[in-house]
Amino acid sequence: METTKTIINYTHRQAGHCESGATSNLFKFYGLDISEPMAFGIGNGLYFSYIPFLKIMFAPMISFRNLPNTVFRRATQYLGIEATVIKKIKDPKEAMAMLDRNLEQGIPTGMQVGVFQLTFFPPEYRQHYNMHNLVAFGKEGNLYHISDTVMEFPQVLTYDDLLRVRYAGGAFAPQGKMYWINNLKPGIDIKPAIIKGIKKTVYEMIGIPFPLIGVKGLKWMARDLKKWPKKHGNEKASFYLGQILRMAEDFGTGGAGFRYIYGAFLKEAGELFGNHTELLEAADIMGKTANKWREFTYIGARNCKNRSKPEEDYGMLSDMLMGIAQNEEIVYRKLEKIKF
Amino acid sequence: MEENQNPVYKNKDYGQSRELLYSYENDGQYKKTVGFHGEPDRIILQQAWDLFGERIEDARKRVKAGKVSPVVYYMEKNLLDPMNLGMIAGISLWRVKWHFRPVVFNRLQEKTLKKYAKAFNITIDQLKNIE
Repeated sequence: METTKTIINYTHRQAGHCESGATSNLFKFYGLDISEPMAFGIGNGLYFSYIPFLKIMFAPMISFRNLPNTVFRRATQYLGIEATVIKKIKDPKEAMAMLDRNLEQGIPTGMQVGVFQLTFFPPEYRQHYNMHNLVAFGKEGNLYHISDTVMEFPQVLTYDDLLRVRYAGGAFAPQGKMYWINNLKPGIDIKPAIIKGIKKTVYEMIGIPFPLIGVKGLKWMARDLKKWPKKHGNEKASFYLGQILRMAEDFGTGGAGFRYIYGAFLKEAGELFGNHTELLEAADIMGKTANKWREFTYIGARNCKNRSKPEEDYGMLSDMLMGIAQNEEIVYRKLEKIKF
Repeated sequence: MEENQNPVYKNKDYGQSRELLYSYENDGQYKKTVGFHGEPDRIILQQAWDLFGERIEDARKRVKAGKVSPVVYYMEKNLLDPMNLGMIAGISLWRVKWHFRPVVFNRLQEKTLKKYAKAFNITIDQLKNIE
């Protein structure tokens, strides 16, 4: 059999978050040097929502990130980069053919995939989670070369495996979504994009008039946390608490539910705006809040393990989460007032 | 965050890959480190897998006792709930629940069985006889 071989000279860099990592790597491939936190901040990766009546993996749905593809779409939009996003492709074979055509033209292509059937993924993370992103940058016979920013090194996937993960069903099904950059002109000024990105994030965290999104959602969850042991019993409350921690710490967040990445973005932005004091202050508070998140994980995980004196512990954890929410609110209020 | 691999997981395949984590130091610098999971992460991940394992074992027993159909076992094994299974297999929620009865499952059409087999990524024989 004839084997065709096309491999694009694409550099794989590991990142904390799958989508902002992929976005940053794609930008770097086209010569725009943007770090992962920068891509994350401009593309509004930061988010929080708590939906107690919707159960995912037998626990309330908690999300620390925006909807899939937001980071890439908004980042390209704010930076004025020509990019194509195809949301839905009905025919799986056509979707794969499109990918092949792109690779032949030398365009590394990002895709949304489901994690459960992804063969190279660490088995402890293999759950039904359809918002993962990876970039294909080469094809060799039946094998695709994949850059998955969660992994340390580039990986390979067979045609069938890739097709299966691209058409994984369930909630937020990927449906073959793919995206790539068409044209990136040199000399892009990223300052206006940063301002737009910060404004949008601030709006999403404190501006949306709905109680389950943003800081309000965080406070709502803190109040609910106190009630769980009485309402659901110890076993279930412990599992629900575990779910918060799993969502915050694992699932490719870079730690503390993206708060570290966002803090790093604020710091970078502050330095870019000529040591902007307010931005640097905000970055400092964000970093301290993120450290509190990590502390919360330590105490919460210990609680999950021992289950001693649940009522007291949950009260304490709830207060801690409330403190975190207030700290975060201070950051967003600060950012809201900044005049650039 | 730890430097070395951790043998704490019950399953040996777990915790083998290194990932990138950010941290904020006292001197006000954000730092990137690559390493294995720390202990809290392992505890909470193990907690989830313990629960899934229990549910799978429980489903297997009920199928063996003839109380529910093999669909339930494979649903638990694939970490699904009836709603998600319906979405993946392309069968409506109440029909999925109806197929949980062994009597109903035994007289299912080939077409429907194929849908389930495809959703679970197994053959029809495997679907009918669980190990």
